[in-house]
Amino acid sequence: MENLDYIDEYFKGEISGEKKQQFEKRIMEDASFADEVAFYISANGVIKNQAVLEKKQRFKELYQQQQKVIPLHKEPVKMVWRYMAAASVVAAVMIMYLFLNRDINPRELADSYIQKNWQTIGVKMATKQDSLQSAIEIYNDAKFKEALEKFEMILKNNPGSQKATEYAGITSLQLSNYAKALQYFSILAADTSYSNPGKFYKAITLLRRNDTGDLTAAKILLQQVIDQDLEKKDEAAKWMKKLD
Amino acid sequence: MTFDMPSYNLKDNELIRSLQNDTVAKRKAEEQLFSQYSYFIKEGMNKYSIPEEDAFDAYSDTILQAIDNIIKGIFESRSSIKTYLYKIFSNKCVDLIRKKTTNKSSIHQTADITEMLFMIADPAKTVVQQLMDLSDAAVLKSKLMELGENCKQLLGMFADGYTDKEIATTMEYKSPDVVKTSRLRCLDKLRQLYKS
Repeated sequence: MENLDYIDEYFKGEISGEKKQQFEKRIMEDASFADEVAFYISANGVIKNQAVLEKKQRFKELYQQQQKVIPLHKEPVKMVWRYMAAASVVAAVMIMYLFLNRDINPRELADSYIQKNWQTIGVKMATKQDSLQSAIEIYNDAKFKEALEKFEMILKNNPGSQKATEYAGITSLQLSNYAKALQYFSILAADTSYSNPGKFYKAITLLRRNDTGDLTAAKILLQQVIDQDLEKKDEAAKWMKKLD
Repeated sequence: MTFDMPSYNLKDNELIRSLQNDTVAKRKAEEQLFSQYSYFIKEGMNKYSIPEEDAFDAYSDTILQAIDNIIKGIFESRSSIKTYLYKIFSNKCVDLIRKKTTNKSSIHQTADITEMLFMIADPAKTVVQQLMDLSDAAVLKSKLMELGENCKQLLGMFADGYTDKEIATTMEYKSPDVVKTSRLRCLDKLRQLYKS
């Protein structure tokens, strides 16, 4: 019991410095004490695992209760009038959609694109583990600040990396650091060695920021994407219609 | 350089506060977080063409990871909880498809064990690691089940990250010291059962 108390204090970070060294020295010299330490860690792992399993079971029960209220797979509707009612609802939704799209909020448009396209990046091309891939994995874990540091580190060593520039811009945008995002997308757009979405991404950033004059600037950029036949031209055309 | 913080709704704030501070409401907040975005399960099924059971597993793991990150302060509120969860969830679904995650329920255990082990400096760490390799998790688990409900709850809450002070409040103990003594007695009892 006395040893467990001592071990507990160690792992709770309540002892430090010389006492910590004494603890570790005792592990080396006292086999029975080392065994107690190993037990303490293993037991905590097993207990934690059990707690997680119980929590998951609780979640499962919650989910099943929810499904009883809103079944995931609804029974097929057999009566014609129900189909007609559903068709009316669809028609109403479509009319509302068309109506709302006329006055679409620029920020919502950008948010929707970010949500749909940049939840994760590069997940399908992960065949080789390199610094870019590792930075992408950090991004995909939603650790944007850390991911941006990694992308910037790559750019420091290889300033010409288009992918690192693009991802640094996207990550800056996720961090709502619009100035930085615009800076990276401008670098990308300035690289005319091959077609890239730099200008389109700049437009997204401006729509997301939505400050005075941003909408006009974004429209100019989108028009340039269309006129110059740049990457994301089709998307830009659709957005122009929505923003008009 | 400007750095605008995105706004996130009050419910996010309330959830974070309950998960981090209010021990009585913590369990409720966990369930609320789970229920609030459980429609991700259906989205995961459609988007990644995975069975409901797999989507549920990915979502449960997402919630558990998010709760851990919120409690540890790793979640910095730079996005809404919804966006944060969806990113983790998508990643877990992709992992699932790649079959990288084979035993998801043990992820947390491994992380905790690693965290504790890394607190010990070498060469003592190696000694402990070797002894742990000899331990039998299945036997330990079966002995854990032999403990009384009170002991299991005490040990479970501590392993789940509650402090002795928080356990004292939740389980209505007189003081954190009483919790600590009771908890270590339970651990000692578990050890005796395991060794026998």
